[in-house]
Amino acid sequence: MISRVLRFLASPAGRALIALGLVLLLGLVFHADGAFYKFGTHRDAIRQASVCGILACGMTLVIITAGIDLAVGSILGLTGVCFALITIHWGWPAWQAIPAALAVGAACGAVAGILTAGAGIQPFIATLAMMVFARGLAKWASEGKKISQAVTDPDGSIRFVDIPRIFEWIDSRLLGGTVSGVTLVFLVCVAVTWILLARHRWGRQLYAIGGNEEAARLSGVPVVRAKTMAYVASGLLAAVAGICHAAQARQGDPEAGATYELTAIAMVVIGGTSLIGGRGGVGLTLLGTLTIGYLDKILSINAVEESGRLMLTGAIIVIAVLTQRRR
Amino acid sequence: MPSRNRTALAAILLLAGWLAAGGCTDGSGPSGQRGPAAEPDQKVYTVGISQCNRNEPWRVQMDADIEAAAKEHPQLKVVFKDAQNDELRQRAHVEEFVSAGVDLIIISPKEAAPLTEPVAQAVAAGVPVIVLDRAVLGDRYTAFIGADNKKIGKAAGLWLVKKLSGKGKVVELKGLMTSTPGQDRHSGFREGIAASGLEVIFQADMKWLEPDARKEMDSALARFDRIDAVYAHNDPGAHGAYLAAQSAGRETEMVFVGIDALPHEGIAYVKQGILDATFQYPTGGKEAIGMALKILAGEEVPKKVVLGSRLFSKDNVAAGGEPLE
Repeated sequence: MISRVLRFLASPAGRALIALGLVLLLGLVFHADGAFYKFGTHRDAIRQASVCGILACGMTLVIITAGIDLAVGSILGLTGVCFALITIHWGWPAWQAIPAALAVGAACGAVAGILTAGAGIQPFIATLAMMVFARGLAKWASEGKKISQAVTDPDGSIRFVDIPRIFEWIDSRLLGGTVSGVTLVFLVCVAVTWILLARHRWGRQLYAIGGNEEAARLSGVPVVRAKTMAYVASGLLAAVAGICHAAQARQGDPEAGATYELTAIAMVVIGGTSLIGGRGGVGLTLLGTLTIGYLDKILSINAVEESGRLMLTGAIIVIAVLTQRRR
Repeated sequence: MPSRNRTALAAILLLAGWLAAGGCTDGSGPSGQRGPAAEPDQKVYTVGISQCNRNEPWRVQMDADIEAAAKEHPQLKVVFKDAQNDELRQRAHVEEFVSAGVDLIIISPKEAAPLTEPVAQAVAAGVPVIVLDRAVLGDRYTAFIGADNKKIGKAAGLWLVKKLSGKGKVVELKGLMTSTPGQDRHSGFREGIAASGLEVIFQADMKWLEPDARKEMDSALARFDRIDAVYAHNDPGAHGAYLAAQSAGRETEMVFVGIDALPHEGIAYVKQGILDATFQYPTGGKEAIGMALKILAGEEVPKKVVLGSRLFSKDNVAAGGEPLE
């Protein structure tokens, strides 16, 4: 029994749990006058981590192929703007607006994927280009302004339009107020990604490509198609995150999501998915997301100064990754 | 595979060139607009406007104010350049304006130190320069127009003292504390509430960002059972705090105050009943064009103009706010 527990704790999932446990311990000690013991604190911590967590699901797929996707933060901003524009200003119903926004994200991912898998540009460069391009597109589509309830008419006057119900649904609390809508979306994304990675042929192909691309090609894996699809999925999930972000902010902000890609990468890596590729999984990313989310929340409820927060976050990322190292 | 390497190299070079040329699609290039057709015998003056970062809504508004004011004067042609938050690019823009022979430059500098010399050289070359919002060092410019963040912060503090009858618990959501507007809005506010019973129970740096403000406000709500007021250094911050309080069902418990009062942000929030008050941080765009006309006509202008602010609250927003003395 004990040896089984020890063996589990030595596995990647066990180590990710240790990192999460250490952060939670931090919260138990620095509980900010009991704020950490309140249920709402935990619900909010997970809600706040959910948007980056959705990005991290897509990032996991790409990182398993030994790639990286720097564009997700910008795609989040772009799709948030598109979603706000389509629903608030054009008045499309949600069942049309959501697929449209998802299509924009998937298209961005497809371009990055084709540049990487098809044209052979390094993923870092291809997605960096997409990151800059998508941000520009977001600013162009929004004319540099936030897309909100306040609509500026051509004559310069401002009128207010109603916020569509879908915004409130996504941002509402469900199941008796215990979980926010965004968190449910995040958990669904984790579940779908997990099924694809663990149970679907495509998932096994991604691991094979990340392990040894040449060997995968020689054994008949459709490398270009499988890899491109990883970036499409990442773009699609970034669009899901964009919709959730816009719903929470009640507006589409062309600047939204800047540096979120780095948070998403940190979540994946802290979970224990290797940047070298071929190893890891989305269950680990879930643990990594919780670790980063709780760390953020504990620093926030204690009102730690910004300088201290940045240094502590950096230090804890290093400690968490060190516990992940294979001995 | 050498061919693969060559492709990658070509891609990197292309990308580098593209980034160097200005990156995103929202145009760093000049975009000239001509007002209504000028009288044939009237000289047309070209005014170069160097904006430090058009990514901020407040600066988009500044450019819009300048453009709207310039449209009323057919003898003015305005050319905008956006430095995209890069002081060296802005320096190049000032030098380009001088060599292009513009008649006057309006600059809203990103940083004082790196832009002091380019501004001085433009003045030395005979091009008058109006400095907007942020100052440069020394006095080698033609005129400065700006507002006083400390005064506005103090006014917000005094207004809250009055609103809460001198007593209460306040959450302060600060702008980026490494920026001077953040520092001044903070110290001014503390000065305003110093002699009262108002107490800041929670403060956090939300870096001007709405999602961060909402996150910090969630923490404040979790920690304190009673909060009487939220003072945020900008309107999006106050809006984020409102959304956090609303989702906790506590938005009626407290007063929300923001700064900037942009028509489509702060003023709109007050009209919707989300914020209780917002204090205008004027862009000075209209005043800059007025001053430019005087300089071009050879009139004397004051070296420094401090703009007044306006308070927009539930009671006066319909009437267009009231000026602060």
